[in-house]
Amino acid sequence: MMKPKTKKKIKDRSAFIVKLLIGILFMLPIIIGLLFSFQTETDLVSYPLKFFTANPTLEHYISAFTTIPILHYLKNTLIVCVIAITAQIVFSSLCAYAFVFFDFKGKEFFWNVVLACMMIPGEVTIITNYVTIQNIGLVNTYPGLFITSMIGGTSIFMMRQYYKSLPKDFKDAATIDGCGELGFLFRVATPLSIPTISSLAIYLFVHIYNQFFWPLLVANDDKMRTIQVGISFLVTSDVTDYGRILAGAMVTILPSVLIYIFGQDYIIKGMTSGGVKG
Amino acid sequence: MSRQGKMTESPRMLHKKKKFSMYPYIFILPAIALMGLFTIYPFIRTIVLSFALTNKMGNFSSWVGLRNWTRVLKKESFWSIVVTSLKMAGVNLVLTFSIAMIFALMANKKVRFSKLYQTMYALPMAIASSPAAAIFIFIYRQKNGLLNNLLGTDISWLNEPSTAIWAVCAVTIWMHIGSSFIFLLVGFRNVPEDLLESAYLDGANSFQRIRKIILPIASPQIFFVLFLSVNSSFKTFAQIKLLTGGGPADSTMNLVYDIYKKALIDQRFETACVEAIFLFLMLFLLSRIQFALEDKVVHYQ
Repeated sequence: MMKPKTKKKIKDRSAFIVKLLIGILFMLPIIIGLLFSFQTETDLVSYPLKFFTANPTLEHYISAFTTIPILHYLKNTLIVCVIAITAQIVFSSLCAYAFVFFDFKGKEFFWNVVLACMMIPGEVTIITNYVTIQNIGLVNTYPGLFITSMIGGTSIFMMRQYYKSLPKDFKDAATIDGCGELGFLFRVATPLSIPTISSLAIYLFVHIYNQFFWPLLVANDDKMRTIQVGISFLVTSDVTDYGRILAGAMVTILPSVLIYIFGQDYIIKGMTSGGVKG
Repeated sequence: MSRQGKMTESPRMLHKKKKFSMYPYIFILPAIALMGLFTIYPFIRTIVLSFALTNKMGNFSSWVGLRNWTRVLKKESFWSIVVTSLKMAGVNLVLTFSIAMIFALMANKKVRFSKLYQTMYALPMAIASSPAAAIFIFIYRQKNGLLNNLLGTDISWLNEPSTAIWAVCAVTIWMHIGSSFIFLLVGFRNVPEDLLESAYLDGANSFQRIRKIILPIASPQIFFVLFLSVNSSFKTFAQIKLLTGGGPADSTMNLVYDIYKKALIDQRFETACVEAIFLFLMLFLLSRIQFALEDKVVHYQ
């Protein structure tokens, strides 16, 4: 007879392995992309395809970097990300701060404006926004790419949730100590909010880095394309050497996957604190 | 002591609050201005243009009253797009939600290294549609495609109406499971440990514990995930654009993709505006129905 303790241990172990195998199965598309991006073009058109090759090659990565302006696409994406994320953090902090710490005329009205905006999906207004951007001459410019991502309801909600969690005494104590409105915001509330801001920044990075519809509309010129749009043109173009496309795709997912893996605790915190009712 | 302190403070605080301050208006200005410019203004403009004719640039040219609406709503092709949207959204919603639910229940218990599979279940949410499309085209393509290779078949998965819709939905579902999984997981982990412990001691098996304790307590999160999924399940765009272009024979043409096509390829902006407002009304109605259901189903503590 086995001891109940060892029996439980075996049961836990096997459950763990099953869960892990399901995880690997779920990630199979990524693994497929990775494995086949290292295979020669001859391997890629052979029948049957093999997951593991005897002679792996870097040729597709070299050709991706030399024939496609991947680094330029990445630079465009990075510029858009940095400006949009910075703007969104500053604007949403200020806005949320006002809604939590001030009583002012029209407060309820403006809060309803924020809520109403969250009810309107971006897909409904995207075409009209594109017309606006076209009318003011911002097509194929960086401002055109980032301007619609400079504020978001989720960010305002998340920052509001954070300010509401600050004890009211903090504010009172700071006021008595002679800290003005700006002093409290910049010297007390903001330094304390670094963890919240970090999770917001990581969440926004994955979101904005992966944007597709808007940059597809605004960046017609190849020079202005973000990485997602640049790679998409490769995907829909003539597919003669698929290895290069897979290599490009792997380069594209690397930043967001790395940020996700290392920042997942922040992302989870950010996603769940902003979304839940409060 | 503390009470005394409060007494002397409060008149000062009161005085401070009443004084008019410009700060709150300055603080909300950038956010409200941007939202006004890129959400409220285009929304109103979209409504307005749905009653007008537009030029090639998408700007107003003349009023036509209800003519755009009657033209669109009379078209059979429009309703087939609505049906396709509903079909795709339904498939996306049901499968994304059920798989995320199973994953969250599997990963619920924190053990050593459980973070390993927790990361795996959520990871595809960090992957964008273009690289995902690149990988899946390699899997789906007819010649030298991985799927045909493994199955020994010769099917053009993306060019058959019967398989294309499933092929596109599979990519969407794969990409969307992660975020639903995370929300559910956080909800399930908020269930007090001692509650589960005592149920276990009372002889409740794991199925009973899930049904009687975890699901009711996490019902606000479950509802929230459903709400988000209903919304996102209608918004598939990039996968359609990159995998099928709405084809074959419009079998993967949803409203969002048709809005894009009408405006930018056919340059019929007013038709795109009608369809955009139709999409908004449909999503709005669905969210109303969900909130009405929420009051009946969800247990708030």
